[in-house]
Amino acid sequence: MYYLRFYLFFCSAPCVYLLKEGNGEQEPCFFLKGLQPSLYVELSHKGFHRDVVTTVELGSDTPADVRALLVYRWPRDVYVDPYQVASLSHQRGWQMLFNTAIDLEKPAHRTSEFSTYVYPSHVGPTPEPLKVTIPIHGRYHKPSFDGKTFTPVHIELPELLLWTKKCTPFQRLEPHTVLDAPCTASNTSICSWVKIQHPNKNSVPMSLHLPVGDGSTVRLICTGTLVVTLICCVVLCHSMLKHPLR
Amino acid sequence: LRLLSALTEKRVLFPVSFVVRLALVVYGDYQDRNMVVKYTDIDYHVFTDAARFITEGQSPYNRSTYRYTPLLAWLLTPNIYLTVVFGKLLFIVCDVLSGLLIYKLLCLRGVGCQTARYVSSLWLLNPLPMGVSSRGNAESILSALVLGTLLCMEGKRLTWAAALYGLSVHMKIYPVTYALPIALSLRSSHTETNGTTQSWTWRTPVAFVGSFLNSKLILFASVAGGVFFTLTALFYYMYGWVFLHETYFYHLTRRDIRHNFSPYFYMLYLTADSRWSQALGLAAFLPQLILLLVSSWTFHPDLAFTCFLHTAVFVSFNKVCTSQYFMWYLSLLPLVIPHLTLSVKQGLGLLLLWFAGQAVWLAPAYFLEFECYNTFFLIWLAGLFFLVINSFILVQLIAHYRSRKSLERQKAE
Repeated sequence: MYYLRFYLFFCSAPCVYLLKEGNGEQEPCFFLKGLQPSLYVELSHKGFHRDVVTTVELGSDTPADVRALLVYRWPRDVYVDPYQVASLSHQRGWQMLFNTAIDLEKPAHRTSEFSTYVYPSHVGPTPEPLKVTIPIHGRYHKPSFDGKTFTPVHIELPELLLWTKKCTPFQRLEPHTVLDAPCTASNTSICSWVKIQHPNKNSVPMSLHLPVGDGSTVRLICTGTLVVTLICCVVLCHSMLKHPLR
Repeated sequence: LRLLSALTEKRVLFPVSFVVRLALVVYGDYQDRNMVVKYTDIDYHVFTDAARFITEGQSPYNRSTYRYTPLLAWLLTPNIYLTVVFGKLLFIVCDVLSGLLIYKLLCLRGVGCQTARYVSSLWLLNPLPMGVSSRGNAESILSALVLGTLLCMEGKRLTWAAALYGLSVHMKIYPVTYALPIALSLRSSHTETNGTTQSWTWRTPVAFVGSFLNSKLILFASVAGGVFFTLTALFYYMYGWVFLHETYFYHLTRRDIRHNFSPYFYMLYLTADSRWSQALGLAAFLPQLILLLVSSWTFHPDLAFTCFLHTAVFVSFNKVCTSQYFMWYLSLLPLVIPHLTLSVKQGLGLLLLWFAGQAVWLAPAYFLEFECYNTFFLIWLAGLFFLVINSFILVQLIAHYRSRKSLERQKAE
């Protein structure tokens, strides 16, 4: 298993949440000391079919109306099956929105990157961490001609976006930024979300390796295939002509 | 042996085989709900999603990877209106119907009714077709149509045979290869003059072509062609070009570079983007074509055997081969078995060899897909090995096949 842990630290000054009930006026969103959301991402399984497990801990003081959005930017080397996700989302407690149609069969060099927006159903104020498991599948790649038997695939960490009714409009939220994104997976309206900045800018993305065909053996493969199929064809023809219907 | 005899009683065999398949459907539903590994095949979900699009007034081709005739999605609309297992029930009924058609066909071909029941039980009590139908694959519809065509041809009911044939070609493209042996078996037989065997005058090719122009063949071609083109025109009108592409052209030009049983898989993967791709595709097609022509010519009087050989050759030498394709010729194998002079031991040996060939392929394929080892070269070797095994088995079947007359003569002696 391959995993990375990242901790997000919020500074005490401008922040996302308005945890104490305000007087209804535009109070700055103070982040209470002690609230330290954390984001862990790990890859499980081996082979072409993997699970990307994202665990988000927002802390016990999370207000009830906080909503989270995880934005994944996937490379073209992998794909997420929308039909598989649709059948799983009821059991797994999250909804996913794709930014483009997915071709399930094309090889990697014939497709492009895509993004998915994952909306967990319940965010706060449970003490349990939020866990999102996304099944991904590797695509076939162009054969390699330089002797390499595997091709590396790098997957970026997801972005964590948060939204709460009590903290709109957002003011003085540096270093966090405000982004517009669909409010829910049904994509009927756009909301302003706060993107939680990673303090650690040198974070290493996840990577896996997928096997690729060996292009340098193409002459051997073609010759071998055509010779064997030709021999089998000749043998079968000979047999058919030698043993006619009787 | 007494149990086997009791089980293959006509009144028992068909109900038992249906009940067992029904039990598998029920179990499949339980497994889908309660376990991580699902029983139902992914194709069944594709069919159901396409049927759902139809109930919403849309095209079934909105469902990605739906590459079948719209007729199938239309047939499965009760999946949405009634129960999601309707399709599976339809498939197991067609499966048992295939068994019944095998039985009737064997009786009509002169095999004794007792033997016919034993041989039909090879299909009806066989776990492979049971599993395939109860998992939601639609292969049993096509096997029922092909067996129905052969039964009607054997019973000389040409119009029905032609209608069923046209329908089967509409549903899946591969039965189109049967057109040649059917045409050869329906043409007028010409007598040779003065006992000369080889007289290559200019009259011979003309007479050959002329023998195809008889009323039976023209009737068959018109009815089959009429059914096929009517359905094609109807669905083209409803769904447009995407119907033609997904149902037919995709399968004709299909080059799946992902690993499969085909001996050509690795060659096509490595050359997918090279300038040799087209030429190699054509080279891969030639053995298939040659074998189809030779088998049609040598065995066309026995249509069932020719169709079996056709399908086995087509599947084994195809550019893409998945385990679903095996059902296409396995449904015709019971028709061939009573005519084989192989011993039970030899037959079982060939069967084990066939399974061994698949196992040898499945092992490196598993390690590639689920353990991330680079086993492409091993998969290539296993694919060629499987082709060699299939060819060996077919050679044995051809060498040990006797027509009904020959078997009766042997018995008399």
